[in-house]
Amino acid sequence: MKSNLEKILFALGTVIFFIAVADGHGQTSPLGGLKDMHATDFTSTEYFEPPDNMKVKMRLSGAEALPLTNSMLDVKQLKVEMFGTNGNPQVVVRAPQCTYSYFDHVANSSGPLELIALDGKLHVAGEGFLWRQAAGSLIISNHVRTTIAVDIFADKKTAL
Amino acid sequence: MKKIIFLLLAAAGGLALAQTNTPVTQAPPHQPTEISSDSADFDLNIHRAIYRGHVSVIDPKVKMQCELLVLDLPASGGHLQNVNAETNVVIDFTDESGQTHHVTSARAVYAYSQVGSVTNETVTFTGNPKVESAESTILSEPLVWDRAANKFHFHNETMIFRQNLNGFGTSTNASPIKF
Repeated sequence: MKSNLEKILFALGTVIFFIAVADGHGQTSPLGGLKDMHATDFTSTEYFEPPDNMKVKMRLSGAEALPLTNSMLDVKQLKVEMFGTNGNPQVVVRAPQCTYSYFDHVANSSGPLELIALDGKLHVAGEGFLWRQAAGSLIISNHVRTTIAVDIFADKKTAL
Repeated sequence: MKKIIFLLLAAAGGLALAQTNTPVTQAPPHQPTEISSDSADFDLNIHRAIYRGHVSVIDPKVKMQCELLVLDLPASGGHLQNVNAETNVVIDFTDESGQTHHVTSARAVYAYSQVGSVTNETVTFTGNPKVESAESTILSEPLVWDRAANKFHFHNETMIFRQNLNGFGTSTNASPIKF
């Protein structure tokens, strides 16, 4: 059981807070109990490449994660935060539910998603998404609505 | 953001120019710009947003529609560098004199660069660009709006002036668009 938990932790990255609860069946599962494990309030953190390797580049967190088959997790209340090298948050992505593959770091859902940037002045919402963590790619499939409350043609700091 | 649309769509500089030439006054609260589309791709590494399908941009002064809209935002602060609008680009805006303009083209490209003290900022319309107003219709291929110089450049243009039926000015040699 512990080794399976470590696999999850490793796949998710650096876990700050992770509580795993396995029910009684998990101890005897033919799949090693992985599918029966239930994680809550987990966080995975990715750092910049050197020389900024002490600075957080991305933080992925969720309120609940239930392992599925094929290295997938059913994640509730997904939150992805991306930071600049100055430590300021640049992008926050939230989704109430998604399926997350912890080996290839891909999340998807047919449900709603929102993206917030520019200190809340850029807001994107839509339904159905595919998030490729390694590529930094987010595809929103339906009903995309963007609200921009800042003049990005002005000569001032803007960043996505 | 108003300019985003405006630049993109570029119709005729009314909005941006209005901002440039208007005496300094208390700026009104910025009204948000709304973009809607069927789908969208965001590349957070190169800071690019691509909107696809029934793209609509609504701003208090400018409205735009197209099928593909690509925004390239600066990586770490600065001015917006590049915006492309493609396929059935339609822009409606009101210039500083209150006259409405309807611009159509296959493509509109906004480009901004600064080399030393020289700033280049243009919007180029290609693919049968056409500007329609109450007074006239102008066809130009391409149609270039030099925002840095506050000028429009027409190439092989065709101007069609309408009969004055509603009190608008009669045909003249001046451009009907108020720069």
